[in-house]
Amino acid sequence: MMRRFLVLLALLVSALAVPSLASGHVTLESATPEVQSSADLAPTQILLRFTEPVVVSPAAIRVLAADGTVLSGAARAAAGDRVVIAPVSGLVRGSAYTVRWRVSGQDGHSPAGVFTFGVGVPAPPPTDAVGAGAMTWKDDLARWLLFASLALVIGPLALRLLVLQGPVPETLEQRFDLIPTAAALAVINVGIVAFVLRASNALQLPLPDLLYGDLQPFAEKTRFGIAFLALTLGFGVVATLLLFAWVADLRVLRVPALVLSVLLASGISLSGHQATLPNSSKASELADWLHLVSAAIWVGGLAALAFIVWPSAPALRARAFLGFARLAVVLVGVMVLAGAYLAFVRLPAVSDLWESDYGRLLLVKLAIVALALSWGALHHFVISPRLEAGEQPRVRPSLVGETFVALAVLLAAAVLTNATPPPAEPGSTVARSAR
Amino acid sequence: MIPRPETAHWLAAAFALLLGLVLLSEVIVGTQVFRRRPWRAYLFPSLALCSGVGLWVITIFSTFSTMHLVAHALWAEAAMIAGGVQLAVVRGKLRSPHWSLVTAIALLVSGAAFLVHEPNPWLYSRAAFLHHAIGWMLVAAALFPIGQALRPRWPLWRAGFALTFIVLALLLFADRDAAPIFGRFAGVVAG
Repeated sequence: MMRRFLVLLALLVSALAVPSLASGHVTLESATPEVQSSADLAPTQILLRFTEPVVVSPAAIRVLAADGTVLSGAARAAAGDRVVIAPVSGLVRGSAYTVRWRVSGQDGHSPAGVFTFGVGVPAPPPTDAVGAGAMTWKDDLARWLLFASLALVIGPLALRLLVLQGPVPETLEQRFDLIPTAAALAVINVGIVAFVLRASNALQLPLPDLLYGDLQPFAEKTRFGIAFLALTLGFGVVATLLLFAWVADLRVLRVPALVLSVLLASGISLSGHQATLPNSSKASELADWLHLVSAAIWVGGLAALAFIVWPSAPALRARAFLGFARLAVVLVGVMVLAGAYLAFVRLPAVSDLWESDYGRLLLVKLAIVALALSWGALHHFVISPRLEAGEQPRVRPSLVGETFVALAVLLAAAVLTNATPPPAEPGSTVARSAR
Repeated sequence: MIPRPETAHWLAAAFALLLGLVLLSEVIVGTQVFRRRPWRAYLFPSLALCSGVGLWVITIFSTFSTMHLVAHALWAEAAMIAGGVQLAVVRGKLRSPHWSLVTAIALLVSGAAFLVHEPNPWLYSRAAFLHHAIGWMLVAAALFPIGQALRPRWPLWRAGFALTFIVLALLLFADRDAAPIFGRFAGVVAG
């Protein structure tokens, strides 16, 4: 028994210590036609090259036409099982095709993926692959949480740097560091969930298989994928800056953290539908970014006022409230102007407001915005003069209420961002999933 | 776009070795001597925090599978938060020894990510063996910071914590993801 154990132990150690064939997980190295490419001539076979030898079934590669017809034959392995080839027939110029693949690696993992290519036409985004599902309430929820997390990074920092300048109590100072830090990490986590959800709509894999789903075409070939990569790395840096600001009392680091967060917000707006519409322009992209940033400062600032300043610094309440009220006038102005311009761009006819789903959603959002603005006006015209007069009215429940209404505005905005606006011109289509 | 897995693993191993050696130095010479130069106290938490930032870079290169993306993000977050909290402890921002429980949670989460990340049994392959070994070692190593929270002066906790990083480095240096090696041994064990 002991001898067998020692032999096994020796084998284990030698297997770990002695260099052997260095290899990694199975991943798709290249494809012919290339992932998300446009070919001049219709290919007669699909060739996938993997980083490791793979085990294939005849259905390892399926090539689908736009109507779902399968155009590929039985797949086979070649070149030391690192290449998988499937013959295809019936491809015509002027059409786009979807490739769905699935193999098994010797490490026991079974990666699967999807990509598209065009013959004489540009490849549609992988989210428009044949068989891809539409966005669901989960995508709306993820985008809402992303907006809310972004607001909780930008809003408190803006309130501290623009409204509450100068020394504040240490408890309040710490909260102005730690809440945006946690929110920056939340942006990353929610961003990962939102990205995987978007990819899973196209991959159409059950959860255990989704774990091995290849996300590279989505990360590298779509706007939302590139935005996701930038947000993940960027907010990692923001969280680090804010952690250092807190630990080392280097409050000046909040400035680059805020600037970087505001710039990164452009990634969220550029990954939205506004950026991929036929009538999109630099002006509309700028308007979308301004709309998002002003809304984030407004909602996050309100939340910071209600949940950070009010409970922990009673002496600063009036100053913070009055300062934020002045800032809110500017924010609301930018939001309304940018929002009106975007509505003008997105809705070609006034009747689209009540005739299209997008228009009706916009009306719902406008109703909630009107409620929030009325609430804000009440604060501005009724509460502010009383605070200026030195009174101490009971404001916090009202601030909390306005914060929740503002969060409802963000929810409506998230649903609206994931909805399809009416076509800009009769017959034109909207590249919905390129978002 | 994806760096070779061995390269990434060996870089991680080198960093873990550095962390382990820093911690081990403090255990060997004693905290009083080690911290005679104040910057040395910041060495481990700063390196842990920086490793978190580095792991975010690795995370965005890990889109070849959902599981790797999520696992790397968890490791990045765990390293960043644990490093940040320990840095705050060294700076005197946080005073309770119970803050080392954050490190325990980070180790637990990191270990769990390794275990979930590996669907095969222990002896399926070299990578499977190493993933299980690293995962369970990190889960067990969570006891060291817990011990430090309860009995901060007992040196065993610090020594165990330091050795965890050195063993982690050795295991990562051995991780080459070559599949079929232990697959053969599984039959020997069963027979």
